[in-house]
Amino acid sequence: MNDIWIIITASLVAANAAILGSFLIMRRMAMVGDAISHAVLPGIVIAYFLTNSRASFPMLMGAAASGMIVTTFIQFFNKKVKLQNDASIGISYTFLFAVGIILISFFGSNVDLDQECVLYGEIAYVPIDTLFIGELNIGPRQFWILLTTLIIIVSAVIMAYRKLVLTTFDEAFASAIGINVVFWQYYLMAGVSLTTVVSFESVGAVLVIAFIAGPPATAYLLTHSFKRMIYLSILIGIVCSIIGYYTAVWLNGSIAGAISSVIGLVFAIVFAVDLFKRRQVSRQVTQTSN
Amino acid sequence: MMTGNSVETHNLTVIYNKKPAIWNIDFTLPAGKIIGVMGPNGSGKSTLLKAIMGIIEPNIGYAKIFDKDLDDVRERVSYVPQRQSVDWDFPASVWDVVAMGRYARKGMLKRLSAEDKSIIEESLEKVNMTAFAQRQISQLSGGQQQRVFLARALAQQADIYFMDEPFVGVDAATEEAIINLLKSMRDQGKTLIVVHHDLHTAQDYFEWMVLLNTRLVRVGPVEDVFNQETLTETYGGTLTTLSKVASLLQEKSFPMRHK
Repeated sequence: MNDIWIIITASLVAANAAILGSFLIMRRMAMVGDAISHAVLPGIVIAYFLTNSRASFPMLMGAAASGMIVTTFIQFFNKKVKLQNDASIGISYTFLFAVGIILISFFGSNVDLDQECVLYGEIAYVPIDTLFIGELNIGPRQFWILLTTLIIIVSAVIMAYRKLVLTTFDEAFASAIGINVVFWQYYLMAGVSLTTVVSFESVGAVLVIAFIAGPPATAYLLTHSFKRMIYLSILIGIVCSIIGYYTAVWLNGSIAGAISSVIGLVFAIVFAVDLFKRRQVSRQVTQTSN
Repeated sequence: MMTGNSVETHNLTVIYNKKPAIWNIDFTLPAGKIIGVMGPNGSGKSTLLKAIMGIIEPNIGYAKIFDKDLDDVRERVSYVPQRQSVDWDFPASVWDVVAMGRYARKGMLKRLSAEDKSIIEESLEKVNMTAFAQRQISQLSGGQQQRVFLARALAQQADIYFMDEPFVGVDAATEEAIINLLKSMRDQGKTLIVVHHDLHTAQDYFEWMVLLNTRLVRVGPVEDVFNQETLTETYGGTLTTLSKVASLLQEKSFPMRHK
């Protein structure tokens, strides 16, 4: 049963990340996910000290707040200071992450917060932390949190689908027909913040990034329709979770690490096949033209 | 034929990094004409278009379209951005992109109706891209990409069209197809405001012209504003442009190309 819960948890993260990641990579913003997942640290630490508990909700709020702060920083440096996008991302999140580290070390070592856990998560513990309705065990807490998040993300994206696609493909045109481009940028980033925040506890920041960038990039090579790219990247994310989990069991190693590696390998394989096919096509073309 | 004013600007000024991109632009343009916006590189042509359409917030001044605030006439305004401004590797078909033209009117949730679909098909037909409807946009040539952008604008069924360099990087056949299309749109009473940089074709293409070099140099009917004096004023003293102007005027007096 534990296996199933771990795979389901990873798959839920994969689905959330795939949907948002498809938009992010087409906006050349995949690393914003990276930025947010690191920048949530000070928010979490501050929430922890304010409430003196590790209850999920205050931490979630703290994390979401610092997620939005880093998004605002990036937007500000990029648009107002005219700094390059990658430089804006680099300077914003390293700063916030460092502030988080300082806060943790400053407030002493008796704190029950672990930087390692933030980065790598511990998906193996997911099945232990379960929710009860009265006496009834209804499954891991993470599962319910991630399921709720998935419902929120899916409905938010469906409702705003055209606007998100239009602002992703052609910002100027979107703006000309009266769409508030900046608002929808933040809308998307709010989704990314939410996803990273609820996911990192179980799977860690690194695997979230792997899910945001990897499956959508793989799907991008396989299809020419944006909708299909989203569906495919969800599917790829789930398949990678399953393969990754059993690889980890087989090697007796880190689950998050194994899943991330499988995501990378799947991309490499798809890329190689794609390259091979293209070579063949161009060879056929040159043969027929000769 | 539509009459009256299409665009009116008052002291329109946009400043980037403490340097003005357009400065105190004040003009009124007629409706139902093909109007060229010309000037050297960096003279603020694109910025002017974007400021009129509210894509860029002007630092000073304002613009009106059809004597109304932009927000009241949004549905009547269409925009053809520079072709290079988007990523053509985006996973979408020609049809998908042209359908975006309908979003402005349909709202963002409603499904496209049969009428929308026939408008999209019609728009594709007008730019001769029907056969490419299901083609992946990354597989198009520059001219075809430009046609797709035009089809998207047509699908909007607007009254005024702002086009940013629609003739850049397109083949001769596409250029001719585009200008014919623009003329037929004009004949239906549409107003077309076109950023352009080729001095040689300007007189043939446009009825009105805005000559721009950060400041407004001249605005008016082509026969009144397009001459050596105004072009020198617009393009300044750079050697290459001056020789271009000279060769252009030479060409005018000794026509080498027959139409």
